[in-house]
This record gives sequence, structure tokens and C-alpha cells, in this order.
Amino acid sequence: MHQNLLIVSGKGGVGKSAVAAALAIAAARRGRRVLAIGMADTGLAAHLGLDHLEYRPIEARAGINALVIDRPAALDEYLRLQLGVPKVTRIGPIARAFDALASAAPGIREVVTIGKVLYEARTNAWDLVVADAPPSGQIGSHLRAPRTVAELVGAGKVREQVQWMREYLADPDLTGLVLVTLAEELPVVETTETLAWLEAEAVTNVAEVITNRVLEPLGATVPADVTSPIGAAAALHAGVHDEQQRWLAELPEGPQLPYLFGATGPGEVAERLADELESM
Amino acid sequence: MSIPLLVTGAGGVGKTTISAAVAIRAAEHGLRTLVLTVDPARRLAAALGLDELGNEPRAHDSLPTLSAAMLDAESSWAEIARRHAKPDVAERLVHNEFFSTITRHFPASQSYAAAETMADYLEANKWDVVVVDTPPSAGGIEFFTAPTELTDLIGGRLFRWITGGSLPGRRELFNLAARPALRIVDTALGSDLLERVTVFLFDLRTTYDGLRRRAGEIDRHFRRAITLVVTTSDPAPVAEAARFYRSLPEIAKPPRAVVFNRALPASWEQARAPRGADQALVANLERWSREATHQRRVRSEFSARYGTPVVTVPWTPVAPTTLKALSQLIDGVEGLRPEALALA
Repeated sequence: MHQNLLIVSGKGGVGKSAVAAALAIAAARRGRRVLAIGMADTGLAAHLGLDHLEYRPIEARAGINALVIDRPAALDEYLRLQLGVPKVTRIGPIARAFDALASAAPGIREVVTIGKVLYEARTNAWDLVVADAPPSGQIGSHLRAPRTVAELVGAGKVREQVQWMREYLADPDLTGLVLVTLAEELPVVETTETLAWLEAEAVTNVAEVITNRVLEPLGATVPADVTSPIGAAAALHAGVHDEQQRWLAELPEGPQLPYLFGATGPGEVAERLADELESM
Repeated sequence: MSIPLLVTGAGGVGKTTISAAVAIRAAEHGLRTLVLTVDPARRLAAALGLDELGNEPRAHDSLPTLSAAMLDAESSWAEIARRHAKPDVAERLVHNEFFSTITRHFPASQSYAAAETMADYLEANKWDVVVVDTPPSAGGIEFFTAPTELTDLIGGRLFRWITGGSLPGRRELFNLAARPALRIVDTALGSDLLERVTVFLFDLRTTYDGLRRRAGEIDRHFRRAITLVVTTSDPAPVAEAARFYRSLPEIAKPPRAVVFNRALPASWEQARAPRGADQALVANLERWSREATHQRRVRSEFSARYGTPVVTVPWTPVAPTTLKALSQLIDGVEGLRPEALALA
């Protein structure tokens, strides 16, 4: 994945934050300067070995900085940097007006969030920005936000701003969407729906569909006696594996990450997934 | 009065399956049971007798004490507007260009719509038990906080700042746009967007009194509800379950139990492979045994920290999707039977 910006999404519960952290760790090990961004209050911090994230980048480990998008702070920055509200102006009333407006007008709130991600990706401070994005059920409104806003507002500063955002998102050399899924019914259905939506909207390009927690084949026949632990464990493994294969067939080809048996914490999970990504 | 049984937890942990199984078992026990569900897998929906248009409760063909309905947030919102605003205002709201955005922007609003639907069914007195498969957001805590959050939002500072303190007349609204801060915003947006949104927010504010009253009633249902928190042993859903326990005290009674789904048998932990067993099977037992040990540690740490009973639901390769299989799921799980949940 050669893009400057990877946006990681997927159905809730598939391990999206863990995979986002693993992508960041794997890139940092190759010497890239990485910024990991939590687009909402996510599990990203724990997977990077931090107990919390702030709006200001914190160095999580060598080569990785991380931040979380805090809406008031992002809005303040957006109004000053992007819209050029002068430094001397009291931002409070403007931010309040803008936020109330953004709560109702489609796309505006999302533009502030995705705009921060794109702004960081565009600077030269990072070789790679990995965004731990909202779940795939909500990602559409973020990816489409620059276009929605362009359709909504007249010719003002906001309109100029969203134009470069649209171009950056749509350029396959700059931005890639990583969809994380599981080989189970509901995540596969949601992934398929998201892919169809992306195909139709053409707002950005899919870099990879990564399937998480995949079991390798048992490598033996399930014993006749499935009441003893050895037989029962074999039957469960083979049963889950078969069911997973059935759902994998519904997904496009892509990397598979293994089920991590006995993984004890979020930090260990991200490290082990990064090992796997590196060996691919 | 109907007993509310709220099943919460992170997405993807099997909440919908467990809600269905608990409801089926209660119905088999002779309790008139309604299960309200969100986004069930196709086969599970079929087992519950839900068809495409499942927004109205329907008695199950082969288990008449069981009814099921879907919680559909999108259309419930329109209902809320119609209920809490004057008819002409409600129609204006529902057809407003910003209406669907605001309902989408506040995940709390979907939870609120679900909570209000739940309250309606509880007050209908047609059921002994109403099982709610809560919408998966913020570990389920949001379902409980949504009524307060939504009334705070609509009655709160943000909207008041734009619409004025005491619901001004529509004419006065447009004077607001003369405020310098609003003028800067309007210039940035280069349109009359602000004016259009202000008119919309003004309409929305008229729902405030009705919403606040209803939110109070919903809170009373929450306080008497029986709650189950569902999770797997994975770090992310466990963290969400923990968050639920930490935020709960102000909102409701302590959960009846934390339900660990996809649990492995305790007997696997110390299991030794018999002599001469296939190497692949030995390796397989070893990794699942490690997982079983890990799971037990997670459960006992959770139980010790939050002082809550633990219920385990066994891991099966395929989630049950027939009435019979769902009922059988509870056979091995005493803590989810109607008696244990104090439903009967």
C-alpha cells in the first residue's frame, strides 16, 4: 500500500482500530514517519500502547505519532486555518454558530473531521497517515462530505476548500480505503454493501479488503469422539473454519490476518498483526 | 406492567442472537413476550417471524406467546416529530432538507427513537416482558443516556444560541442573522444556508417540552429495567462492557449479569492430549486450551472488578437460527432462563 493516506473502516467489532494500529506499526518499522489519527473516540490509543490520545500529536513510539480528532479543537483550527478567521477574533461565538449549523446541515461536520485528516496527509511532516475511521455504516457520509458540501453552499471559502479535499480523496496514488472485515455473515454483508456504494459514488478507491481473525485449516480429520477436549476443540476449529471459508468466498481477494489465540492485550494484538502484515 | 429486559453490549458480540434466545425461552415459559430487535441476520429474522416490513409486532405462527418487531430508527424519528410538534410544524420538519442529517448526526437520536418505541410497547400492557436488543453504540450506554442527551441538545446552549433564548417569533429570527459571528459564517459558506438552518432549528425547538416530558418517563422505565451486558472475551468489547459498568450507576440498576458469548469449556484449560494423538490435533488442542485460559482470566478479572455475576454462552461454529436451536442455546445456560432473570 503506497498511498500517503490510508483510511481504515469496517463494521463495528471487526478489529478496525487494531488493524489501523498494525498498519501504522508495520510502516514505522520500515522507517516511515507515521501519523495515526483516531477519527473518533476509539481503541486506537490502547493498541498503540498509550492510555489516551489528544488533539496535539503524541509520540507513541519511534516513528509513530498519534492524535484524536476532538471536534471543538478541529473546528477552531478549521475556522482559523482553512477559512482564515483572523487570529484576533474571538472564536467562541463563531464556532458556536458554525457548530449549530453543522449539526443540521449535511456534510459540514464531517468536512471538519475528514478535512483535518486530509490536511495532515497533505503536509510533508508524515510519510503516511493512517486514519482509524468511523464504522463502515457511517463512513459514507464522511467520504462524501466534500461533495455534499459543494452541492449545498454557494461560492464561498468553504467551497474552495472542499475542492482540493475531493481531489485528494479521489486520487488512488494519494488515498486508499482499507476495509476490515470478518469471515462472518453480518460483516461480509456490510462490506459488500460498502463496496457497492463506493463503486457507485466513486469518491475514493479501495486499497485493500482485509479479513481479520481467520483460522488456518485444522490439518487433520476431526476425531470420531468429539466429547473429549481434543476432539471437541478439533470439531469447533473445523466448524468455524468451514463457516469462515463459506463467507470468504463472498469477499474480494485480500490479505487475511490470523485469529490470535490467547492474545492478552490490545498492544500485543497490534504488534502481532503488524508482524503478519510485514510477512505478506 | 411489562418488565423491560435490556440487552446491551458492543456490536458483533451476538447480542441479537442472545436477545432472541432469551425471549423465546420466556415465551415458552408462558410469558407474553415481545422482542424488539435491530438489524438481525436474515435467517434469525426469519426464525422470529419477521418479514421485510417488521415494524409492527406480530405474534409468531408456531409460538403465539412470542411477538417480534424491528426497531427502525429512520421512520421512528418522523413519528417523534409528529408526536411532539404541532401537525403543521411536524410536516414541515419531516420534509425539511436538514431533517435526515440531524437524525443521522446524533447517534443519540436513533437510540432515543428506539427508547421511545420501547416505552410505548411497555405501556401498551400487552406483554409481560419486552426484550430490547439495544442499538450498538458506545457499548450500549448511549441507549440509556439518549433521552437526556437529546433533550439537552434541543433545549441546550447550542440551539438556543442560534434560535434565541425563549423561542422567539419567526419574524424575530431573521434579526439574529445580523449578529457579527453569524455574518462571518454566512460569508464563509457563501449562501443563505444559515437562514435555512435557523428556520429548521426553530421548528425543531418546539418539540422540546414534549420530548422532555417523555424522556422523564423513559428514564423511569430504565430505572426498573433488568439489564444484561453481552460481550466476548476480546479486548475491544470487554472495554466497552467495562465502560458500561463504570457509567451505569446514575442511570439504572446494576446489570443482572455480564454474558460472555463464545466461551470455551473450562475443561479445555488443563486438557492433555492422549498418547499417540495426531500432531495437528495436539497443536490444535494446545492453542484452544491457551484461549480457554485467557478467556477465564478475562472473565474473573471483570467479575472481580465490577462485582457482577458472569454467565457464559458456549462458542458454536454457526450461530443458532431456528426457534428450536435458539431455545436449546439456553439449555446449558442457567443464568439466562426466565426464572434466573426474575421474569417469572
